[in-house]
Amino acid sequence: MASRILGIDLGTTNSCVAVIDDRGTVTVLASPEGERTTPSVVAWPAAGGDVLVGTPARRQAVSNAAHTVFGTKRLVGRKVNNDDVALAARTAPYRIVAAANGDAWVRIGTVNRSPQEIASHVLRRLRAIAEAALGEPVTRAIVTVPAYFDEHQRQATRDAGTIAGLDVVRILNEPTAAALAYGAHRVSERRRLIGVFDLGGGTFDISIMSVENGIFEVLATGGDSALGGEDWDRRMVERMADEIFDKTLIDLMQNPVALGRLREACEAAKKALSSERETWMRLPFLAQDQDGQPFNLERKLTRDEVEAWTAAELARVDAPCRRTLADARVTPADLEEVLLVGGMTRWPAVQATVERIFGKKPSKGANPDEVVAMGAAAYAGIVGGDDDGAALLDVTPHDIGIKVGETGFSVLIARNSMLPVRARKLFATTSADQKFVSIELYQGEHADVRKNRRLGQVTLDGLPPGPAGSIRVELNLTVDVESIMNVTARELSTGKEAGVTLRPSGGLTQREIVEIISRRREEETAAAATRPIDGGGLTRVPTRELPPIKPRGE
Amino acid sequence: MLAIAGVPILAASVSQTPLNIKLRCTSWQQLANIHRRDLSRHAIFLKASQLPPLGTPVRIDLTLPTESMIVLAGVVAEHVPEGGLGGRGPGIDIKLNTIPESALWLIETALASAAKQTGAIPVTNEAAVDDGQDVAAAEDELLAALTSELDSLRRLNPFQVLGVGYEAGDAEIRAAFAGLTKRYHPDRFTRYTSQELRGLAAEIFILIRDAYRRLGDEASRAKALQAAGARPVVKVPTLRPGPSIPPPPIAGAKAAPPAPPPRMPAGSPPPPVIAPPRAATADPPPSAKAPDTERRPMQVAPPSLGEDPKVDFRSADGLLEAGRYDEALAVFKIYTRKNPGDRTARAGIELAEGLRALAQRDRLEAAQRFEAVLEIDPTNERAARELAEMRRMATNERRGLLSRLMGKKE
Repeated sequence: MASRILGIDLGTTNSCVAVIDDRGTVTVLASPEGERTTPSVVAWPAAGGDVLVGTPARRQAVSNAAHTVFGTKRLVGRKVNNDDVALAARTAPYRIVAAANGDAWVRIGTVNRSPQEIASHVLRRLRAIAEAALGEPVTRAIVTVPAYFDEHQRQATRDAGTIAGLDVVRILNEPTAAALAYGAHRVSERRRLIGVFDLGGGTFDISIMSVENGIFEVLATGGDSALGGEDWDRRMVERMADEIFDKTLIDLMQNPVALGRLREACEAAKKALSSERETWMRLPFLAQDQDGQPFNLERKLTRDEVEAWTAAELARVDAPCRRTLADARVTPADLEEVLLVGGMTRWPAVQATVERIFGKKPSKGANPDEVVAMGAAAYAGIVGGDDDGAALLDVTPHDIGIKVGETGFSVLIARNSMLPVRARKLFATTSADQKFVSIELYQGEHADVRKNRRLGQVTLDGLPPGPAGSIRVELNLTVDVESIMNVTARELSTGKEAGVTLRPSGGLTQREIVEIISRRREEETAAAATRPIDGGGLTRVPTRELPPIKPRGE
Repeated sequence: MLAIAGVPILAASVSQTPLNIKLRCTSWQQLANIHRRDLSRHAIFLKASQLPPLGTPVRIDLTLPTESMIVLAGVVAEHVPEGGLGGRGPGIDIKLNTIPESALWLIETALASAAKQTGAIPVTNEAAVDDGQDVAAAEDELLAALTSELDSLRRLNPFQVLGVGYEAGDAEIRAAFAGLTKRYHPDRFTRYTSQELRGLAAEIFILIRDAYRRLGDEASRAKALQAAGARPVVKVPTLRPGPSIPPPPIAGAKAAPPAPPPRMPAGSPPPPVIAPPRAATADPPPSAKAPDTERRPMQVAPPSLGEDPKVDFRSADGLLEAGRYDEALAVFKIYTRKNPGDRTARAGIELAEGLRALAQRDRLEAAQRFEAVLEIDPTNERAARELAEMRRMATNERRGLLSRLMGKKE
């Protein structure tokens, strides 16, 4: 057997790593502390020292709010002026800044860090967990992303792997992975249609799949890349903060430490309310009022209350589900089962909504936090081995097309086309002796191209002279099995060609990746200098005077 | 077929400079022939149109199907006139000085073990397993196999691409698609180092997927059936009577004089000392006037179908179906002699030859014949299908080999 390929679910709130053994058994790998999932939280301790990842990072989040980042999956591959990023920025205790190319990055102390770099710390942690559990080095992984992730977000995820020293052999869609984990051991000759409803921490995916003869075919996929459990949390935090402001005139929004505590309490309350009808939130000394008196939060919270607050979030799952069913040309009655994936599907109102939309009780068999990583590991077994027993057919999540005129969008590859896919289009020059053609590619569902995501531009210059319409240029667009695009344009009479693998308008350059890796090495060296010799992480002996305690903010 | 490369071009005056001839024996069949007819009499015959002077020393590097090479030395002993030496002429007969004992042993054991493997005189030129072979080389071979398979698949209609009958229903088509997907989906090539393999697999998979899409539902299937219906639909008949197709342009080496294809070609382009080699697809169609029996050493006595002028080559279809290739061949030949311009019948000759070679497991020969058919008649369904099937097998073998090598390495 070759060196193993890990299956990694790099989640918005939690991440998980699994592996398949020679006999085809998939195992979730637990950390030495026994945790089967790792919080996707990364912190840079204010006092310096090693970067913290996972539970240790989360534990110190309250005291080090500005340097503790979480939920950055929602920033991955996005511009800072994106609506979703703006929304996240409103309640995030860390600072979101614009990188030189407009991408959303996070400012930690004096350093701007890309979401890729932050994700790479989580990946490194998972890799370490796997190596400890397996007792052998691991360099390859299959990493999952929401099906609704676009080109840039996928590339960014791949870059995060590179920074973490992992060869990402495949980017796999989360719902597809979930279906694989669920269905891989239930091979049947009969064709079965299943729906995968995946509501995670930060993204919502709905996929309709058919399983037959070992082929997992995605018929259609849809969703909302900016809808997840964190929106529920955020809404709760907002409502609570408003309520506190109305009562006490204390503005928690200005107090990152208090906000951090409130967020954590809200998340805990939400989890409690998934099984209980009511719960208590108790946060002593949350803040001080104008008179310097401490404010203690003590409040009973009911499930009905929270459901009422978050009705708008819940309503957002409806339209994608219906559209995806229509795209797959199936009715809810055709579906044999609807699988629930993602922690947020534990919320009773979500389950009720799924039941309402699909007309059947959803399946809750698998652990929704682990099933995606397990599916990725199962797929590692398929791509890494000789076994011809199964294959996965995925689709393009978005329409891909070109800009026509000022605002028009002409679709070349319709969404839900089976991958890999290829499209060709011929263009003719529009004026005599035109010197060049420039073709802009976009991804999205809007007829108005400006509302879609710009992927990049191919320019072919040095066209031969000729009357308008006489010179023809062929555009060739391919999307591979991982949804990575490749574009070439060719002038037909001379054969002159221009091409790009699309990633020019965002993401990291190769140089930036190298810089991040070398910076990380430096930081590790610096951290090692402050690290006690023994202790093995169990005891921490301060090697220098602790700074005086003072209220910390931005 | 033997192919010769690198014959030095010599003026007659420097006749004492030795001729260096490279012979590549790609099938056991050919090796068996050389052994039986030539080596056993300590000589070797080479077809040639321009004859080097008697006494010219000759060095022959003979490469066996196993890639081992045997060096033979001799002198030009005889100019064989046209039709001489049992109809093999014109050419030169080379008296070999000595055949090293080791060389004969090598050839004989190779032939014997090849015969034992398959029970007949077999050909296993595909995917020669060599433990020392490098994984990278095996990847290259797989790449080449996939490339020719892709080329083959492009000529097929959707039914043939999926390998289903024209009457296939939904379930059968989906099952065929599933089987092919499991083998050709680009993800199945992720484990190999070569990125190109994945790209090539993607190309093949796109063809398979497109075929599936066109047959996936009843309505589009009816359309595809109609499109394929230009060809005979029932029972895989092979040959289309009807308007003969204009000859495809013959390029480069193909423009060589339509001499009877030499059995043991030797020589090189200008000025040819020896006749030009028969390349895989650059074969001039067999001439009706001189049916070259030398090329078909395994042929059993031609069936005597008489010289009935009314013989209709379409009856050969049934013979082909029945596996009676020699009889079919004779029918095609007779018909071609009467109608030398009929390309369909000429394609029939190649097809019958190809099927016969296939039956004898001479896959290389068969592939060349099928390609010749497609060159003469690009719409020939049977040849296209057989070729695609052979190439699929070749891909499979290469892949199996690569997996074995990788398994060994790890």
